[in-house]
Amino acid sequence: MPPLAIEVRGIRRVYSAKPAPVVALDRVDLHVAPGEFFGLLGPNGAGKTTLIKILTTLLLPSAGTARVFGFDVERDTKKIRRIMNMVAGGEQSGYGILTVREQLWMFTQFYGLAGGDGWRRVDELIEAVGLTEQRIQRVSTLSTGQRQKMNLARGLLNDPWILFLDEPTLGLDVSAARSLRELIVDWKRAVPGRTILLTTHYMAEADELCDRIAIVDHGRILAIGSPDELKRRVQRESIFRLELDHLDGGVATLVRLPGVVSASEAAGAIDAATRQTVVMNLVLEDDGVLGQVVGALARTGSEILGLRKSEPTLEDVFVELVGRGFAESDAEAAGKAG
Amino acid sequence: MAVSATSAPVPAPARFDFAKAEGNGIRDFLRTFAVAVRLGWQLEANWTDPLLFFIYSVAKPVSSALILVVMLEVIGGPSGRAFRPFVVVGSALWSFVVSGIAGLAFSILEDRERFRMLKYVYVSPSDFLTVLVGRGVARVGVGLAGAAITVAVGVVVLGVPFDLGSVNWPLFVTVFLLGLWSIVAVGLLMAGVVIQTRQESWSYPEAFAGALFLVAGAVFPLAVLPALVQVIGLLTPLSWWIAGIREALFPGGPGSIGGAGSVFAGAFGHAQPGPLEIVLALMATGAIATLGAVAVFRVSDRRAKQAGLYDRTTGS
Ligand SMILES: Nc1ncnc2c1ncn2[C@@H]1O[C@H](COP(=O)(O)OP(=O)(O)O)[C@@H](O)[C@H]1O
Ligand SMILES: [Mg+2]
Repeated sequence: MPPLAIEVRGIRRVYSAKPAPVVALDRVDLHVAPGEFFGLLGPNGAGKTTLIKILTTLLLPSAGTARVFGFDVERDTKKIRRIMNMVAGGEQSGYGILTVREQLWMFTQFYGLAGGDGWRRVDELIEAVGLTEQRIQRVSTLSTGQRQKMNLARGLLNDPWILFLDEPTLGLDVSAARSLRELIVDWKRAVPGRTILLTTHYMAEADELCDRIAIVDHGRILAIGSPDELKRRVQRESIFRLELDHLDGGVATLVRLPGVVSASEAAGAIDAATRQTVVMNLVLEDDGVLGQVVGALARTGSEILGLRKSEPTLEDVFVELVGRGFAESDAEAAGKAG
Repeated sequence: MAVSATSAPVPAPARFDFAKAEGNGIRDFLRTFAVAVRLGWQLEANWTDPLLFFIYSVAKPVSSALILVVMLEVIGGPSGRAFRPFVVVGSALWSFVVSGIAGLAFSILEDRERFRMLKYVYVSPSDFLTVLVGRGVARVGVGLAGAAITVAVGVVVLGVPFDLGSVNWPLFVTVFLLGLWSIVAVGLLMAGVVIQTRQESWSYPEAFAGALFLVAGAVFPLAVLPALVQVIGLLTPLSWWIAGIREALFPGGPGSIGGAGSVFAGAFGHAQPGPLEIVLALMATGAIATLGAVAVFRVSDRRAKQAGLYDRTTGS
């Protein structure tokens, strides 16, 4: 049995802070298999960075054990450091006076590459992340997005088995964030077995990238699963938005059908006086019921103008688990910090 | 309620060759050291800004030497002139001490708070201590340029009698290298301290270096200090280093360690230490400083990992 990429057991982390100690992680258990793209999703202050710091050997846990590919974070630090790497977002990091090439090459030396191999690896990665034009530019002259690409290239220098990404797109504009996500996905896909642990507080990012997600709040993992599994948790029924040219007999016609949980006209879709179409929300026990609904509508002579499944979002999952939204959680965290 | 996940049973592909987790011993060490010296050189030397380099590494020591020489002239008159070599060497070595001791500590603060790179260096497999020592050696190298220029100015402008032929070269080389080692050790000790402090503490290392310099006999002989302070001075490798350099460059000139009524003279029964005594004392105090520095650094490292200080920035 090969070791798990990440095996966290009963990790607890308490920071000693001014008024009272802060429990950043509270008995967290987590297993990530090699090859997974795993996400930690949670509001600011949830404990995501703390977990990454423990796994990347920057910080010791207060209790519990954590292993990366079987190596213990407290005892096998050097070994872990050789097989993993880390990239954090939301900060301008870099030795401004060095060129992009120089800075990256320096890290190849820290990772034990021979000098010439180091330069070759640097040039390959510079090309891969699209910084060829900036390669002999000083780091201080790079834009935020370019710096983060360089930072990603640094994170790939040692061809890590596992890459820890701590909010890598934080503070980037939309297009820079997208291009960084593409680079990350491309890197991961290129070789099977490459593993990523990503933290984010952008739902869409987690949804788009991750095979599995752990939803974290106040130092605890509240739920783990694939994005679809998580969404199914909050919504066992299927919800459709249906638009018809007309419906004889009103929604009651549909509610009578077996498997239809409810059907209700959507409010405010089109002004009642000039109404030309009927829009309704249809809740079914499962997707399979849809066929009967369509058949029934055909028999009544209604024409289907539009049919769209409404997907629950990870936000819905979070609200269901925590009882409050993400935005409120962030505001709360900001209030505590200030 | 904490939820534990069942992992998707993806078998680890054959690409996981665990040899990757093993290091390369001495070769890794040399690579890390070399690149750290190179980085230190590029970051610290201000080569890109010759004016800054000139101000910090040349103008400061030269002007402080000049001030001291003028003071000597006013106070001591012509008889003070014998002390000029003493003053010039002391001032020249100052830039060394500052760049070595304070410089190493600054590397930590700069990497952490300005460049934000400390955590990335730290989570690489390179030995962090080696990286720091490399950075320190580069700083000392920069200091060397300033020191050499100051001595040259002393000889040319102030007419300090300097005779290449009479220099005790074996003593000079021995003391110089041991001193360099000791400075880096004391710098490491300082680095261990500033890992724990915040950026507002920029001034601590320089203040510490300054205090050391005063008790080390750089600008005046130890004999003028209270006995307790003299003892501290005698336990500092810097005192022996400065004394050794003076003795090597200007053999028989005024010394800083002993003299009438000094703690040294009282304890050892003769006025000034000889070259061998200086070398032995430098080795002993340097070894103590090294052991102390490594111990402090290790404790500090452990504490920093416990408290999460390697990526902290002022105000966080
Ligand atoms: N060095 C520290 N000292 C004290 N408290 C800290 C420290 N680092 C983080 N915290 C606190 O621990 C909690 C978790 O922080 P963090 O792991 O950074 O969360 P996230 O990355 O999810 O935003 C927060 O309440 C934060 O204020
Ligand atoms: Mg964070």
